[in-house]
Amino acid sequence: MSRSLRLSLILVGLAVLALVVAVVVTRPQSSPSSDSGAGEQGELVRPDSPRLTEGSEVQLVEFLDFECESCGAIYPYTEDLKARYGDRFEFVVRYMPLHVSSVNAALAAEAAGAQGSYEEMYDVLFERQAQWGHQQTAQREVFFDYAEELGLDMTRFEADFDDPAALARIERDRADGQAVGVTGTPTFFLDGEQLPIDSVDDLESALIEALDG
Amino acid sequence: MGAALAVLAGFGLLAAVALMIERVAVLVDPTRIPSCTLNPILSCSSVMTSPQASAFGFPNPVVGIVGFTVVLTTGVAVLAGARFTRWYWAGLQAGVTFAIVFVHWLAFQSLYRIGALCPYCLVVWAVTIPLFVLVTVHNLRQVPGLPPPARRAVDVAHEYRTAIVVGWYLLIATLAAQRFWDYWITLLP
Repeated sequence: MSRSLRLSLILVGLAVLALVVAVVVTRPQSSPSSDSGAGEQGELVRPDSPRLTEGSEVQLVEFLDFECESCGAIYPYTEDLKARYGDRFEFVVRYMPLHVSSVNAALAAEAAGAQGSYEEMYDVLFERQAQWGHQQTAQREVFFDYAEELGLDMTRFEADFDDPAALARIERDRADGQAVGVTGTPTFFLDGEQLPIDSVDDLESALIEALDG
Repeated sequence: MGAALAVLAGFGLLAAVALMIERVAVLVDPTRIPSCTLNPILSCSSVMTSPQASAFGFPNPVVGIVGFTVVLTTGVAVLAGARFTRWYWAGLQAGVTFAIVFVHWLAFQSLYRIGALCPYCLVVWAVTIPLFVLVTVHNLRQVPGLPPPARRAVDVAHEYRTAIVVGWYLLIATLAAQRFWDYWITLLP
């Protein structure tokens, strides 16, 4: 074996060793509870999933994609439900990014959320969906403009936007969604049960029934 | 030498052509998800549509298609017994030097500005590094009248050229692993 080849193999060996050590050291601890049960099946709600309302009687989870038109169409109705029953139900947002800019939009919401402006960005993204949605390119600049408009700290926003951990959260949402059977957006879960929705009224009647029924 | 040039440039050419085809396909059908978009990190969608993907005002793969064709032809010619004048090799040196600088600029942009890796681009990085090392070491050995210490350094570089390439790969792989670590770690079972 030539000396060059031997040195190459040593370098590769060291790199593999370093990789194994890095994986072992930084690997997220899988708690015993997740091994025994729901771990691999995905979670409907994670502790760090964004909450738009904090009521305690009923839990409504929406898997959404900021770029999906149906999500934009149902947005005024969920806003209405929030205004009327927000103190009684918990509204949890999960991401199911399925379009070109969906991930960037979710990153923008997450980065705004890190500065306490999650809901403001959530509103802007849906209200102006027609401006940024269905473009050929991932709309990074537009989201930065929105953040600036909301008066966010832009240095921090950029750092949070580019944080791989935020991307991992969105990707985890997608994986959770697939695991619990989400195939399109928006998909709603009311107290853990997937809601079949044919019209926007179905959502309201199901929520009212859960609250008062 | 000829065979190595031809094979490396051949792979580079295939990647550049594939990238160009994906790009045209996305222009024809903007909703199309390119074959090279596998997950949020390994994605040519976000890379192809970035301003950096047209560094000179036209798509980068155009540079690759022309450049790799020249290197491929040179390699085949060397295999066929052709001999080139010193200025031809100097021209090739200029080409691979431009390529290595360009590829590293793109790698920096991809890792730290765009935040995604495109698989075909990775192939281009992976062939450009050995092409640069091969051509540069070959040319340095032809330089007449090198002082003995420099000559010895060139000989060592020539002997260890495989290790240089491997070390270079590992360096970039380490940066890519570190940059997206939080994502990679979520992929583990």
